[in-house]
Amino acid sequence: MNDKSVRIEDTNTSLTGLGRRGFMISAVVGVIAMAATVALGAAAGDGMRRLGYTYLISYAYVLSVSLGALTFLPIMSVTKASWHIVIRRLAEVMAAVMPLLAILAIPVILFAGKIYGWADPQIAASAAMAHKAAWFSQGAFILRWVIYFCIWSGYGIFFWRQSLAQDVSGDDNITRRVENLSGFSIMIGAITIAMASFDLLMSVDPLWFSTIFGVYYWAGGFVSFFAVLTLLTFGLQNTGRMTRIVSPEHIHDYGKGMFAFTFFWAYIAFSQYMLYWYANIPEETNWFLERSREGWGKLGIFLIFAAFVLPFAGLISRYAKRHRKMLAFWAVWIIAAQWLNLYWVVMPSFSEKFVFGVMDVTCFIGIAGLWLAAITRLAMGHSLVPLKDPRLEASLRFENA
Amino acid sequence: MKQGDLYGLLIEFESPSLLAAAAMRVRDAGFKKWDVHSPFPVHGMDDFMGIRGTRLPFIILGGGLIGLAAATLMQWWMNAVDYPFVISGKPLFGLPANIPIMFELTVLFSAFAAFFGMWGLNGMPRWYNPLLTSKRFRRATQDRFFIVIEARDPAFKLEKTREFLASLGGSEVEEIHESAED
Repeated sequence: MNDKSVRIEDTNTSLTGLGRRGFMISAVVGVIAMAATVALGAAAGDGMRRLGYTYLISYAYVLSVSLGALTFLPIMSVTKASWHIVIRRLAEVMAAVMPLLAILAIPVILFAGKIYGWADPQIAASAAMAHKAAWFSQGAFILRWVIYFCIWSGYGIFFWRQSLAQDVSGDDNITRRVENLSGFSIMIGAITIAMASFDLLMSVDPLWFSTIFGVYYWAGGFVSFFAVLTLLTFGLQNTGRMTRIVSPEHIHDYGKGMFAFTFFWAYIAFSQYMLYWYANIPEETNWFLERSREGWGKLGIFLIFAAFVLPFAGLISRYAKRHRKMLAFWAVWIIAAQWLNLYWVVMPSFSEKFVFGVMDVTCFIGIAGLWLAAITRLAMGHSLVPLKDPRLEASLRFENA
Repeated sequence: MKQGDLYGLLIEFESPSLLAAAAMRVRDAGFKKWDVHSPFPVHGMDDFMGIRGTRLPFIILGGGLIGLAAATLMQWWMNAVDYPFVISGKPLFGLPANIPIMFELTVLFSAFAAFFGMWGLNGMPRWYNPLLTSKRFRRATQDRFFIVIEARDPAFKLEKTREFLASLGGSEVEEIHESAED
């Protein structure tokens, strides 16, 4: 039951006292982990190829979380939702770090020659690649990434700036302006995220194609976004911030988001698999063939349980969705499982046999650490809650029916 | 009209806040077989009435699992036992081909379980409710709020319960009877 009298003034909505420390710790951990990753990559003695692949995986994963935030915001806006207002700033900050992710994309472009099949002269010379040659060139690839990041950064910063401006002016027109541009942002986001997933992950094997791949990538990112949002909220609440205003009712909605999009992800993943399994055309099934032997098949079966069956069963009850410890457990679990899913998507193109090393973990910690440092730095000096949003009151009083 | 057995006692209130306050007192008095009636949902009423969580989710889970099992068995029996027929070199019982039907029947049976389970838990269908014999009760869909305590409640004692209801600050207490059988 929500305390009806809860007011925004009753809680600490500032990062003061935590922000600097949080920024320093995550930045230092991130840099050390990245340095360790580079050292391990150099020690592998394959001209940094292994490093390129693991960087791609963790980068694609962290990017998908920010892209999740970037789709969450306009969807909430066009539906005129109010439940999320108290936690909206957290999503805004996750979307607004797009420029950092643009910088982190540079290594992917530098490694492109080592990790993407289309950069391999032997594959590029095959007849199946002839009509794709113009699309898959270094120049076109870089140009597309510039376009993606102009659009994503533009929207991410737009949502962030408008929201901060409303903190000062309290102008209701800002809410309407964001609403008007949100519909377009959903459409543009759908197209650019799909295209980016083709470029980032699918073109590792440029002979394989899947039209649903963009949704597959986005769904994994969206469910991870809810998981990260849950952990960020709990982390802030454990240090005495945003307490009371984020009630079990909001937490319940995090649980619903994780539950629903766990299933959505599985639905899409299976849709992709089943059509290829049924049609059984060599150029389409080869991708799955590579991922079903030499240990990769076992990982695939494991993922069915880790990324779908177990979190689905674990989050199905209302009780679990409102239980903080259980929800935190599943949030960590989902992040690990979805990261592992991208590992399964990418790594078999590097090695026919299953591989896994310390480098994969340190690389993820490195990129995640830098990302966390950036969102902390960005949020410092601002309220953690949009203080003058017209729907803030409704959000404070929100109850699940 | 002849009167049948006593069904319960009805009391009327003029506002949702009076209803909510009264509901809390009925709850605290330990009654179990009682209900409130309002033209619109009153926020927080579940808590005021002390209603505990519903068993419906478990019924739905059962329905879903039965649907899943039914779809699996049906397809296995049809494709691999009763009329084995090799299609595009696939196994007679290949799991991926069967999953869409397994998913659909799980959803369908869950929906049936939710819909009819809700009927069952609410004691539906029934031809009429004794409350409909009360003229005053017709305003339950317009602008009045009601509490009814049923006679089958273990804590129900006609005179004491009548006094208790009268103390809640509503209108006069009305006896509701089942309609007599001819």
